[in-house]
Amino acid sequence: MANEKLSRLIEKKREDLTQNWMRMVRSDSRIDSDDLLTRSELRDHVPAILEEICDLLLADETPTPTNTLEGRVKVFLRIQQGYRGLDLAREVCLLRTSVLDFLAEQCSTPDFNADLKTYHSSARIIDRYFDEVLCNAISVYSETADRPPSNDLLDS
Amino acid sequence: MLTQTDFEQLIRSYNEDYVYLLIRASQQSYECLISSFMMLKDLYNVIVKLQDSGKYLFRILPYPLSFRANDELLKKMGFSPEGIDKIYGFLDFVKNTQGQEFEECLEGSVFNLCKAHPGDQPWRTKSSAD
Repeated sequence: MANEKLSRLIEKKREDLTQNWMRMVRSDSRIDSDDLLTRSELRDHVPAILEEICDLLLADETPTPTNTLEGRVKVFLRIQQGYRGLDLAREVCLLRTSVLDFLAEQCSTPDFNADLKTYHSSARIIDRYFDEVLCNAISVYSETADRPPSNDLLDS
Repeated sequence: MLTQTDFEQLIRSYNEDYVYLLIRASQQSYECLISSFMMLKDLYNVIVKLQDSGKYLFRILPYPLSFRANDELLKKMGFSPEGIDKIYGFLDFVKNTQGQEFEECLEGSVFNLCKAHPGDQPWRTKSSAD
């Protein structure tokens, strides 16, 4: 039930969370790869990722390789955009931080009435989601590392 | 025993089928496309699970099977703005004919598609008990 409430809150604040994350990425001096991206390219799949997280929270479902599709799209696009693996990892970590900060903020408001167990249950799903994204990113970047980051990765 | 070469061939076949289905959607040829995507999703899940087992590598990347807000991906794949509009039009077509979102259809049974109207009962096979 609390996951459901949090899911709706994240859904409602999806745009704010995306904008906040974009500001965090743009102002993080350790991330270089975003310099050449347009606003739309940087933003790309983040709203869809948040939507997918909301769906998982709503269903109280554990993230797995087959239900984290939007995260996989992000990794796929970033490697094609020539993003460095390290920069992608930092981007994903910033998004995780942003969502978990939001979660903590919401759970600590008196009218939300959430205890540590509730927070943990939601945080665990969110955490596992980003773990899956990072695991996929590590696989993709390391297993295709000897090939140029362009369309020929698809080998179609 | 599936070898890495077999695995890569599986990904190549999947990628070809995925592009083919998207081309059909971009040409507004929506007939039987949902069931084709459902079967392709099963193949995609198999590929992802095989790679996740640690026995196979993603030397070739499978296209991520997602339709949500995919402008950047579809542009990268070479679809024109008109083609992209028609691909999104397919999502509306699914909602109108099936009464649910495309992603929900993918999660359901293929027999749910055998309905003349969204409210109809899904088609069933006759069991021996009937």
